[in-house]
Amino acid sequence: MVHESIAATNAVVTLDVALPDVFWGWYVTMNMWAKSIGTGLIFMLFLLLRKNPNEVDEGLRTKTLIVSFVFMNVFLLFTLADLHQPFRMWHIFFYPHFTSAITVGAWMATVFVGLESIMILIMLAKKGVEAFDKLLFWVTLLAIPVTLYTAGIMAEATARELWQMPTEAVQMVLAATLSGSAVMLLLGGSRFSDETKSFLANILGLSALMAFIVYMSEYVFGAMKAEEVAAILSYVKGDGEYSTMFWVGQWVAYIIPMLLVALYRVSKSSAILSLASLMAIGGLWVVKHVWLVIPQLLPLS
Amino acid sequence: MQLGFLVDLHLCMGCKGCEIACKVENEVPLSTWRLRVKYVDVGTFPETKRTFTPLRCNHCENAPCERICPVSALHYIENGIVNIDRERCIGCAGCVMACPYGAIYIDPETQTADKCTYCAHRVASSMMPACVVACPVEANIFGDLDDPTSNISKYIQAHRDVQVRKPEKGTNPHHFYVGASQVHLNPLASEREEGYNLFNKITKLPLGGHH
Repeated sequence: MVHESIAATNAVVTLDVALPDVFWGWYVTMNMWAKSIGTGLIFMLFLLLRKNPNEVDEGLRTKTLIVSFVFMNVFLLFTLADLHQPFRMWHIFFYPHFTSAITVGAWMATVFVGLESIMILIMLAKKGVEAFDKLLFWVTLLAIPVTLYTAGIMAEATARELWQMPTEAVQMVLAATLSGSAVMLLLGGSRFSDETKSFLANILGLSALMAFIVYMSEYVFGAMKAEEVAAILSYVKGDGEYSTMFWVGQWVAYIIPMLLVALYRVSKSSAILSLASLMAIGGLWVVKHVWLVIPQLLPLS
Repeated sequence: MQLGFLVDLHLCMGCKGCEIACKVENEVPLSTWRLRVKYVDVGTFPETKRTFTPLRCNHCENAPCERICPVSALHYIENGIVNIDRERCIGCAGCVMACPYGAIYIDPETQTADKCTYCAHRVASSMMPACVVACPVEANIFGDLDDPTSNISKYIQAHRDVQVRKPEKGTNPHHFYVGASQVHLNPLASEREEGYNLFNKITKLPLGGHH
């Protein structure tokens, strides 16, 4: 690692105006967070319909779709707001460049939200749940790449060594299952049986566990193979400027919800499950934000 | 044709003539740079020296900015230059995130991405880029890499220490350095200490949106 040579060279940058700063800030965090909830809810609705269809009535179908639709629109709104030329957004449809995960994602997300609109109309027009459930299958399939494409963007961000494609793809899926199960638990409330609550709680707890393991693996081992990753991770280690935020995120999004889910399995208290859900949803925002910002702090020149 | 750039760091004396010529030629706004010269001080007093490294777009053969641009605002032209269409850019900053060399910025006046284009408009008129013309020691060498008789090809053939920035990224840059050390090319090979940078308190023009 070249960093070790600094003691010998005593090299100090005395004049450089690196083109800097955090370009993708909390608007992009909102984007990823809202998309996780929007697609995660679709995954959970699909799973519940397979696991225990008796507990998913028309009301829950409509409610879940509307909440997912709202979060998908929050995601689209922040995507648009983050552009420096938002009124040129139409270029992405008329001058598309399909090697870009941004383009592919924008197209898929648009189709996804369009299909969700149709499903809501089907339910509001009382056209029957059969058509809804048929469409849900295709929407669930589409939700997978819609969830994943942000990992593709991060992979194409060649300058940010921390974001590796397989890892980010896994984190995107886990963020969707974590937040989707959490919001579904809050939406279902007391209408769910203990069996269904346990099912969703298990998804919540396991998603938190796996996401935590992936982050810790990167935290401990990531620095051992690439000096850029080591330099980036220093921002969340020791006295790094994002250390506190990183650990707050890990505790609130993953560790405490995991413990609360374990406690729920003993106590069967719905309040504990609701608390775990709220913490997971809030903590996920913090975790996403830290991981988004820290690679941008590293000077590229 | 594949245009490329080479900087002989043995010759560069850090006068910043190239930087200013670029600013003037391309009307680069305050607080942004298409080309800039980085100073790194090396050694311990009294055995110290200052190194100079001009930094600009590398016009990569496998350009991450071109790949990530959702609307092809960043695109190749037939002479190998990675050019930008500011009228098409939507300002997503994907290219800013993708460029490993930190060579792309958001222009605070147009709210679009911008970067060095090797002065494509001048090249189209058979002129050299502004920075090449301005350099008093001819440290900037520009030409066709596909032509073995061009100055840049001859220079590369004649020197053994030809390097590019961050070759591990697989971008295949068309911008070369002669006489470079890790201190010149690797941002992690030097410290950035608060209070020692001549431009610590630079004023930046506001960008649109929340940035």
